[in-house]
Amino acid sequence: MTIYNLDKEDRCRIISIPNISLLESLGIREGVAVKVKNKQPLGGPVVLQTGNRNIAIGKRIAKQIIVEAL
Amino acid sequence: MSRQCTSESSQTIGQDKKILLMGNPNVGKSVIFHKLTGMDVEISNYAGTTVGFTKSKIKLGDVEIDFIDVPGTYSLESVSEAEDVAVKFLESNPTAIVCVLDSTYLERNLKLALDIQRYNIPMIFVLNLLDVAERQGIHIDVDLLEQELGAKVIPAVAVKDEGIHRIREELAKILEDGEGLEGKSPEGDRPSSKELWDRAAAITSKVQSTSKVEKSLLERLGEKTIQPWPGIPIAILVLLLALGVVVGLGKGMRALVLLPFIDDVYTPFITNLISNFIGPGMLRNILVGEYGFLIKAIEWPFALILPYVFLFYVVISFLEDSGYLPRIGVLMDAVLNRLGIQGGSMIPILLGYGCAVPAIISTRSATTKKERLIVTLLISFAVPCVSQTAAFISLLGDYSMLMLIAVFLTSFIVMFVVSRIGDKVIKGKTDPLVIEIPNLLLPERKSYFRKLKMRMRHFFLDAEGPMLMGVIIAALVIETGLMNQIGKLIEPLVVGWLGLPKEASLSLILGIIRREMAVLPLLEMNLNGLQMFVGSIVALFYLPCISVFAILIQEFDTKFAVVVALSTIVAAFFFGGLVNHIGLLFI
Repeated sequence: MTIYNLDKEDRCRIISIPNISLLESLGIREGVAVKVKNKQPLGGPVVLQTGNRNIAIGKRIAKQIIVEAL
Repeated sequence: MSRQCTSESSQTIGQDKKILLMGNPNVGKSVIFHKLTGMDVEISNYAGTTVGFTKSKIKLGDVEIDFIDVPGTYSLESVSEAEDVAVKFLESNPTAIVCVLDSTYLERNLKLALDIQRYNIPMIFVLNLLDVAERQGIHIDVDLLEQELGAKVIPAVAVKDEGIHRIREELAKILEDGEGLEGKSPEGDRPSSKELWDRAAAITSKVQSTSKVEKSLLERLGEKTIQPWPGIPIAILVLLLALGVVVGLGKGMRALVLLPFIDDVYTPFITNLISNFIGPGMLRNILVGEYGFLIKAIEWPFALILPYVFLFYVVISFLEDSGYLPRIGVLMDAVLNRLGIQGGSMIPILLGYGCAVPAIISTRSATTKKERLIVTLLISFAVPCVSQTAAFISLLGDYSMLMLIAVFLTSFIVMFVVSRIGDKVIKGKTDPLVIEIPNLLLPERKSYFRKLKMRMRHFFLDAEGPMLMGVIIAALVIETGLMNQIGKLIEPLVVGWLGLPKEASLSLILGIIRREMAVLPLLEMNLNGLQMFVGSIVALFYLPCISVFAILIQEFDTKFAVVVALSTIVAAFFFGGLVNHIGLLFI
């Protein structure tokens, strides 16, 4: 399952991320629990909450982030 | 605005004594830099405001030493230009490092801090944004954090001057202690980023405690603004409100205060004064005639342009400091994806509505070269700067609001076409959006006004000179009759193809100097509606001004700048003429 499959308010744990170092630097990394804040319409980005920060991630990358539901 | 934005990243990084200011993006480094050095720098509430590095002297006791605002990075791994610059500085034998930590996200900030600590350079830590953290119910045990890091930790609220004095004291102590620690390359293997994260997490859980607090109104609003509903209606409302303030208030200021002053007080006064000394003739006309230098040099910049420039910066500075701009980027990402770019580029585009120079510089934070090129093209071709917008309002606003709207619709269509073509023609690919959404903050009053003042000062310094030059050229070529000669030369193009009077050639000459100068001379020519519209379309496409040309050379190369200049001129004439001929069919 990728993070793009999840809906608003779903929580998940990240299993693997694509090789984009900015993601990891922003705190989106393996083993971390995140919450989906929302999915923008028309193929827009997913907004994730980690810690008390919101990170927006474009669809093409979100579809490569493998997660397990919590 | 362009003054401190010169491409310093191309400068070589010397080995002389220096103190580095480092940390994650958007943690307040530039605020601290300003407070410590007194130097004016651009500060906003989003990642990547400082794209080059800024250097200044800092006085500590009786020692003066270089102090460097290194662009913010999340890590030391090479992701973009910013990380490379940061690593180069770390390896240039600095005397000390001031590492700024964002108290509202300690873990991630510590991860970078631990990575920097490996270089064994004397460090002090500044625990900034403590007020925001407190409001979010985050408490940090400073003493414990000092123990964990083995270095001084200074609690701070930099925008309110809290902690600034202590940074100075601690730095002075490090300098007094002499070279104490010898900066050397990190020993042993570089810990994996997982190890760094684990240590950062361990320290954070030790020193940080959180209590449940009710979310503040601003935080709740911040959450709402990133939900499609009601975020999108809010964004539309914000943009309409911004437009209303700039256009509406600007028109009011112009019509009620500035123009009456120019027309009823200043012009009669100066005309009488000059007429007392100089008899009728060419010299008097050059000074106070129809295009008289002494009149237009005051009327054009101060009555027609200044109110809009001022109000634009009032609005955009507020939006920048509040952290709202990245939210527009997130909401617009899906739309911009269809143009081949991503939501993160919304900020340069919005800045372009002020001035293309800082906008093009800010495209440095784009993640790919292709993205950077597309956004730069889009700004050069289709985004009118605030001075030009002001001129459009002066020309069209009183005649027909609909026509003004049509000019802006045209600019949107051109943006669409340019980026689609750019996407097809330019090789490579663009990255999807990955962006941190900052906390929504109420701009701090003092730094907001300082920024406004700084921008207005840059406007006066950068814009007034060229504008005066344009006004002088206009007065000279018209009143001496030289205009008729030039006019004849390009008559077929201007009169035949564009359907404008031959004096309009003046616009094309002055437009090279400043963008609004391509529009303002048209005000004096009693044009009909179609001619006004054609003139506006020509000006919209026409060559971005000479400063933009210079920045294109600086940021890219001469060839690119020439290609942009030539293609904008060709597009200006082609589409201007097209509009004219289509328009003529209906009249």
